[in-house]
Amino acid sequence: MEVLRIENLSKNYGSLKALDNLNLSVNNGEIMGILGPNGSGKTTTLGIILGILKADSGNFTWFENRYENHRLHIGSILETPNFFPYLNADENLDIVRQIKGVENKNFDELLELVKLKGRRKSQFKTFSLGMKQRLAIAATLIGDPDVVIFDEPTNGLDPEGIAEVRRTLQDIASRGKTVIMASHILDEVEKICSHVTIIKRGKLMASGNVGSILSNDLTIEIASSDLLQLSQFLQMYQGITNVEMKGQIIECNAHVDTNIAELNRNALSKNIALTHLVARKTRLEEEFLKITGKPSNN
Amino acid sequence: MFKLLKLEFSKFRKSTVVILLTVMFVVFFPFSLTVTRIFEEFPPPFPPAKVFVQFSTVWEYLGYVGNWMVFFFLGVMIIYTITLEVSYKTLRQSIIIGMTRNQYFLSKIYLVVVISLIATLYYSIIAFTVGYINTPEANLSLAFDNEWAIPRFFLMSLGYLSFAMMIAYLIRNSGLAVFLYLSLILLVEPLVRLGHVKFIGTKFQNYYPMNCIEDNMPLPLLRIADYIKTGELDLTILLSYKMAAIMSVIYTIIFVGISYYSFIKRDL
Repeated sequence: MEVLRIENLSKNYGSLKALDNLNLSVNNGEIMGILGPNGSGKTTTLGIILGILKADSGNFTWFENRYENHRLHIGSILETPNFFPYLNADENLDIVRQIKGVENKNFDELLELVKLKGRRKSQFKTFSLGMKQRLAIAATLIGDPDVVIFDEPTNGLDPEGIAEVRRTLQDIASRGKTVIMASHILDEVEKICSHVTIIKRGKLMASGNVGSILSNDLTIEIASSDLLQLSQFLQMYQGITNVEMKGQIIECNAHVDTNIAELNRNALSKNIALTHLVARKTRLEEEFLKITGKPSNN
Repeated sequence: MFKLLKLEFSKFRKSTVVILLTVMFVVFFPFSLTVTRIFEEFPPPFPPAKVFVQFSTVWEYLGYVGNWMVFFFLGVMIIYTITLEVSYKTLRQSIIIGMTRNQYFLSKIYLVVVISLIATLYYSIIAFTVGYINTPEANLSLAFDNEWAIPRFFLMSLGYLSFAMMIAYLIRNSGLAVFLYLSLILLVEPLVRLGHVKFIGTKFQNYYPMNCIEDNMPLPLLRIADYIKTGELDLTILLSYKMAAIMSVIYTIIFVGISYYSFIKRDL
């Protein structure tokens, strides 16, 4: 089943084009990461599909229009956790429960999952940022939604908090939920997501499963005592592309089938003694930089 | 309806500001009756001070006090309950997790109506009790001979609270909204009315929104002044009860309409 279809979505803030004819599709069971630099339109996209922002044009459908109120089948955190500061965890979750129309008032399992059971009677305002984020994650799961949406779920957290939230997200994903996650933390998306969409200035740059987004290239780091000679050698070498000097090493791309040992032998035959040679699969961050053409905020 | 009201109750039952404003309304409203004890007698042609706590004047006098109480404590409470949800972003969250905008708006309308009803009930109980205690030979027909004071009080409350709701939806910032709400009622409209009388004349100067709402429950002395004034001035201090009620309903509908339009059309 197609959980979400976005067609030609556009949104302007004055003269700023936040979304420009964006198209996107998310299928059941996918863990979709929406990637983009700050201001690329990630939160605007989520805001529109969650009903708090109005699109200027285009449309979107949830669950192929199967439900009368689709939002009751979605759990979501947009930007920051939003709760009443003077209410405790239980009371805040109960408000979410009432809105969702869920009968079950027992939040034990959810609070256990996010490790807040011991603080359920504490006011929200006394929580640390990590605890607030975890309570928000618990709230998204009330009513066992078909889809959960997270917008920058680890924003502002310390390393321990990031690890905790990441573990919780992986746990949720392992339960077979469809997850849509906007982030600019590429490592996070690469570790958690099965699919990825990259947007830049409101335009779709790439979309598909993580494997298809990552090219079949290897990234090779290579060095010798004579970098100029090595650079000339690599530029002539069949299958090597994007040769770039980076300080005392040269970075280049090669097809995944390139024989690295043979490359070393051929260099030696040209009297080039390699002092450094590392080959690795291209990471999402490198692909992201290639697609968006700018450094990430990671 | 009850689900939405229960939700509103869950949100604000522990809010210190809401509790404080409620307590102040509940305490100050009947407490204001003691003010009449300060005045032994008013100068003629006004009636003796004790009349203000007797039927049927107690309905008018207490209604006028309620006019201020509702405008201030309950009006500010409505602004707070709406703008608080904007600043805590729980408004956005409510929509994200499943409420439709219509449901959310309705929940606030129900809140306005229910608070108006409760305030009216409270007013009725105090007026009836005080009047019964202080009126010699009080009976039920005398007690409720009050020119529809109870529905007039309700319309007045509804008018103020829907105006507060409109300001909150338009401004969305607690401090600014309260400031604007108070200054529009206490300063801006009276000044505009003054300018109206000076530059346009005395026609229609009583038809400004807050004045229409206030004239449902005006200061009883002003009503008396209207009766005794000579025909020298082409000026009526107060609208008739009927006209005040009609205009209040019209303005309330306008306030609700503007609130709805602002809430539905804007990004949250």
